[in-house]
Amino acid sequence: MLARRAIFGFSLALALGFVLLTCATCTRAESTAIPHGTLELVGENQWIAAGHDFNLGLHFQLETGWHIYWVNPGDSGEPPRVKWQLPEGVTVGALQWPMPRRLGTPNIVDFGYQDAVTLIVPMHADGSLKVGEPAKIAAQIKVLVCREMCIPGTAQLSLVLPVKSESPASDARTRDLFVAARKSMPRTAPTNWKFGLGEARDSFVLTANVGHEISQAAFFPLAESQISNTASQKLVPTAAGFRLTLQKSDQLLKPIERLKGVLVLSGGQSYLIDVRVGKTGTTKS
Amino acid sequence: MKRLIVYPILMALFLCTASKVFSAVKAGEAAPEFTATASDGKNYRLSDYRGKYVVLEWHNNGCPYVGKHYKSGNMQRLQKEWTGRGVAWFTVLSSAPGQQGYVTASEENEYVRKMQAAPTAALLDPTGQVGHLYDAKTSPQMIVINPQGVVIYDGAIDDKPTTDLEDVPGATNYVSLALEQAMAGKQVATTTTRPYGCSVKYADSGH
Repeated sequence: MLARRAIFGFSLALALGFVLLTCATCTRAESTAIPHGTLELVGENQWIAAGHDFNLGLHFQLETGWHIYWVNPGDSGEPPRVKWQLPEGVTVGALQWPMPRRLGTPNIVDFGYQDAVTLIVPMHADGSLKVGEPAKIAAQIKVLVCREMCIPGTAQLSLVLPVKSESPASDARTRDLFVAARKSMPRTAPTNWKFGLGEARDSFVLTANVGHEISQAAFFPLAESQISNTASQKLVPTAAGFRLTLQKSDQLLKPIERLKGVLVLSGGQSYLIDVRVGKTGTTKS
Repeated sequence: MKRLIVYPILMALFLCTASKVFSAVKAGEAAPEFTATASDGKNYRLSDYRGKYVVLEWHNNGCPYVGKHYKSGNMQRLQKEWTGRGVAWFTVLSSAPGQQGYVTASEENEYVRKMQAAPTAALLDPTGQVGHLYDAKTSPQMIVINPQGVVIYDGAIDDKPTTDLEDVPGATNYVSLALEQAMAGKQVATTTTRPYGCSVKYADSGH
């Protein structure tokens, strides 16, 4: 008699536990159409937990020839803009942008992505989140998709993620997407690399000391209107690195203290750098 | 003896004019001279407008950023207001044949009529001659020239670089600001901004 009740009770507990684990209302990925492509909001983790970071991804898939723009779009275009609707206790950090490509023509240079790109969205769940109450995270995304013409689109996407106490486990279904996205993310430069930035009247000169000669380098500024996008970046390899001349933008009217951007070297290696502007004349151009 | 002197000079001249050197005109500099045929069939020369303020408005009727200003009636309002105050307002069409925004004279006249636009003239620039002269990169892009022939503003139409119609009413309009300040004898506060919009569809745009 006792054994049967025990088995019944145990099975019930198991069933309830299973239901809590599976979460009937939860969605870990949602996809929608955008002009000439699709946009998907995906989670890197199977659930979120109070006091833990987690990541979402905005995965754009575009038809051949169509592109979207980087955080600094360049001479024309506009980057995707996201408005988040977050539950209490969830906060969002800055979007992480993979290394951009140079697009456009010699006279009108843009920065962006073709085919596919995943923007990683760092998030944090604070201590107030309650286990068992799924968290709904929604986003309104405005995106400009261009080829020979530009078409603006708006997407509304949401995820409902379970809230548990254990630290979030990764979602096997989205793992490959996040691995690929991280491969194309600009990294922090190694600590032994040294950068300097000299300023002349019409240009900046970026010097790099990385321990060996560099024969291929391009700089993509994070902010608009600092560097001319069309001017060629003259590269002079040096024994320990390189000197790269960056023409100032015609729209740069006030002095800047720092230059931030993505340095792309050969083999697609890219680094996020943030260099303080030195005094005028400290670097011979 | 003449050949030794004349031929190298001719070669040098040829090379100078053959290479396209786009040294972009900047605010504060003299506005480069041009002559262009408009959709009304007449020729318009910039220097004929010395003594007046001139606005150049780069346009592409398929671009959603241009669409924002025309669907809202904003561009038409600006054209009416400023031409009413003696400004010569030229819509400039620099799209190459086969590219988005390219229009024939009659197509442009139909568009102006339908949109109730009020430019002084719509300049047909299919070779991109005027566009390249001013290094126009986007549509819309706005250039304001003062009566002395100096560029006093070059850049975006306003400070809301989006395609959203609701962003028109609250935006700071850089064209009106430049004209008002200059007409009042004041220094133009914002002389240059990053123009926003679709890229101008010159012949090398592809597709």
